[in-house]
Amino acid sequence: MKVTRRDLLVWSAGAAAGLMVTPVPWKVLDDVSIWSQNWPWIPQPPRGPVEVKQSSCTLCPNGCGLRVRMVGGWPVGVAGVASHPVSRGALCPLGFGAHQLNWHPQRLRAVRHRGNTSTWGEAHAAFAKACSEGPVVVIDGWPGRAASQVLENFAKSRRGEYRVVLSPETRALLPYERWSGAPATSLGYDLENAQTIVSFGAPLLDGWGAPGRFTRLWAERAAGMTDPQLRLIQIDATLSRTAARAWRWAPVRAGAEAALAAGVARVLLEEHLVASRGPMPHTTSAEAADQTGLTADAIRDLARTIVARGPVVALANDDNPAIAALNVVLGAVGTRGGVVRRSKTAKSYVAADAEIRSARAVLINSSVPWDFVPRTDAEVFRFAAWDGGSSKADWLLPAPGFLEELTDVPAAPAMATETYAVAQPLAKAPHEVRSAAQFLAGIDASLPTAEKIIRARCQDLFHGRAGTLCAQDQTPVSKVASAQKLEEQLWNGAVWVGEPFRAESFRCELKEWPTVAASVPSQNWLSSWSAPILPPLASKVFQESDLRERPEGRIA
Amino acid sequence: MTARYGMVIDLDRCTGCGSCMVACAAENNVPALPQATARTGLTPMLVRKVSNEMDGAARREVFIPITCMHCERDTPCVSVCPQQAVEVDKATGIVMQMPQRCLGCRYCMTACAYHARYFNWRDPAWPAGMEKSLNPAVAVRMRGVVEKCNFCHGRLHAAKEKAAAAGKREIDAADYVPACVEACPTAAIHFGNLADSNDPVSQESRSSDAFRLLARLGTEPKVYYKSKEAWVRQLAESVSARNPEASREAKHV
Repeated sequence: MKVTRRDLLVWSAGAAAGLMVTPVPWKVLDDVSIWSQNWPWIPQPPRGPVEVKQSSCTLCPNGCGLRVRMVGGWPVGVAGVASHPVSRGALCPLGFGAHQLNWHPQRLRAVRHRGNTSTWGEAHAAFAKACSEGPVVVIDGWPGRAASQVLENFAKSRRGEYRVVLSPETRALLPYERWSGAPATSLGYDLENAQTIVSFGAPLLDGWGAPGRFTRLWAERAAGMTDPQLRLIQIDATLSRTAARAWRWAPVRAGAEAALAAGVARVLLEEHLVASRGPMPHTTSAEAADQTGLTADAIRDLARTIVARGPVVALANDDNPAIAALNVVLGAVGTRGGVVRRSKTAKSYVAADAEIRSARAVLINSSVPWDFVPRTDAEVFRFAAWDGGSSKADWLLPAPGFLEELTDVPAAPAMATETYAVAQPLAKAPHEVRSAAQFLAGIDASLPTAEKIIRARCQDLFHGRAGTLCAQDQTPVSKVASAQKLEEQLWNGAVWVGEPFRAESFRCELKEWPTVAASVPSQNWLSSWSAPILPPLASKVFQESDLRERPEGRIA
Repeated sequence: MTARYGMVIDLDRCTGCGSCMVACAAENNVPALPQATARTGLTPMLVRKVSNEMDGAARREVFIPITCMHCERDTPCVSVCPQQAVEVDKATGIVMQMPQRCLGCRYCMTACAYHARYFNWRDPAWPAGMEKSLNPAVAVRMRGVVEKCNFCHGRLHAAKEKAAAAGKREIDAADYVPACVEACPTAAIHFGNLADSNDPVSQESRSSDAFRLLARLGTEPKVYYKSKEAWVRQLAESVSARNPEASREAKHV
């Protein structure tokens, strides 16, 4: 039988049509789908022994308590520590994804010199040469740590300078430092004992201070109550997250916070609502009304509401002398529920934003916020765990990332009591990273290591016999058996909490009302975040939902 | 003993920080895909913002965390699934999603009145090395399946194992806490057994401030909300009032 071309085509078409009524193509399609859904290279979670360790978050100076779940030596999840005396079990939304940060594509893994890959040896030689040619300025973003002491010792030994980029919470305390001499880093707010808090733009429920400190307080004493035990009055230009949940919201024009503080203080003094403690502001209620957009009656009502239930304290979102002066008028300085001095050992620091002259080199620690750019012509050596893009640093040096470095954690900014904790290194650091303290030890071998300083501090705490050690239970330091025991507990996640403040240790004298400071832009939920990147999962709150606006200049 | 796990979310305490969303994603190995949007992303816990629509100082806003409501009766996603990939666990009341059975038809997404189900449009992917940070207690889901909140079922398994190791039949309530509940910095989300009248969450769900979203549908969701603010409660009640006929019909189903 002869098979024609037509027969072949007919047979092929028939076979194709017949195949469609069999299960074969559908089974093949199904198998291909299943196979392609389960590629062998689809990520699989790690396997290995599971352990849980306690530590402190080191991504900002608030040092929240962390419970870290580890598998095979790698952190696979973080949660808050309910017994932590500062954060009380809370973390910020960024903290919950922080264990993924060390794998971020922007992780800095090699030394870079003006955009080109370089080596530690070349960076070391360049810095040593600069040190031999002139003074060095060292800039830190988290003072008070053991590593900070190493940096400060180095700067002083080289006739250089140690400067600090302070957090917004600490900058808001600078007016009190100018008026009393007490360092801003030694001051805090006794929010736990306040009955009324007037926030002039401070994002109390949105990234101000340690996340758990005020939010827990607000949830327990203010949330949902028509007549709350804690009255939160928010002065804000827009309905911010804090304003939306505050007991009262006073919408004012942006930048008019100082004028409103002066207007309120004038009403308080004129109507004798407070004992006369400060100078009369020059701003009248009518002038304050004109500048703020509120009516003069609204300002008078606000002043009466503020003092209706004390203790009362006013909070600024940055260095704003008028709001500090309002606290002086309110009698909220050095008193229960007001601005208090928690430490007598803290030091004042030179602010890093002043121009740096006659320095040969500037070394910037990784704790300094990425958006900080020093005003200098000197050669800049910048340590960073992640590369945030454009930077004026001549040298970019890879630093340890999240929980890759031993560090101690002094009291969070604006705390009312001293605290001390130790964050042990939980994650394995890549071999190519070095901390600034390790780098400087290569230049000056006489510098003490951070570990040695931490041990000495633990000894000091033990011999001081003051304060309490907070872990699952609270133990007075006087009952801890030995210095080694105290150190061991701190390494395992316990927190030392100092004695409560004493009111008589802090006074502010104010002779005349301060001149109005330049307006400060409002902070947002990222104000404490120093890294140039965000955990990838943070995109859930601004990219996959409309909860927050996309942060500018940050790489998620 | 059968449980009926549920939540009571105190809207007066929610600050809309988003910690619950991130903690949920981290616990359940949800990838953060660069191209994901509000429409194509995976957010088993999603916080939405609503306002009283007033102007000036009288304007108020409240944040509503939306998750799977774990409907108890005539669960819409269960009844439409052609693959039996969704079922209500009789022992816990948790609405379970089985990705191995799911064929990705998305009928369940259409049936869900709360838009609490999400489709995996893309292969799960993380930057190189980041798979070392994944939670080993939860399997990574494949592309082409629907997923949703399962009240952190992996944690329930862990609690059961712990109880079994201790020779107990019942889990300790403190051992089973979903990630969002644990993460909430204001303790706004409460989780417990609604079937146990002594459970604080069960008692809260019966308080006068408590309400459920779209209660008129009669699906008996197990996620309750509560607020002392009248306008917030009215907002939820007005949803029922818009269609009283449907509400009556639902009661007779």
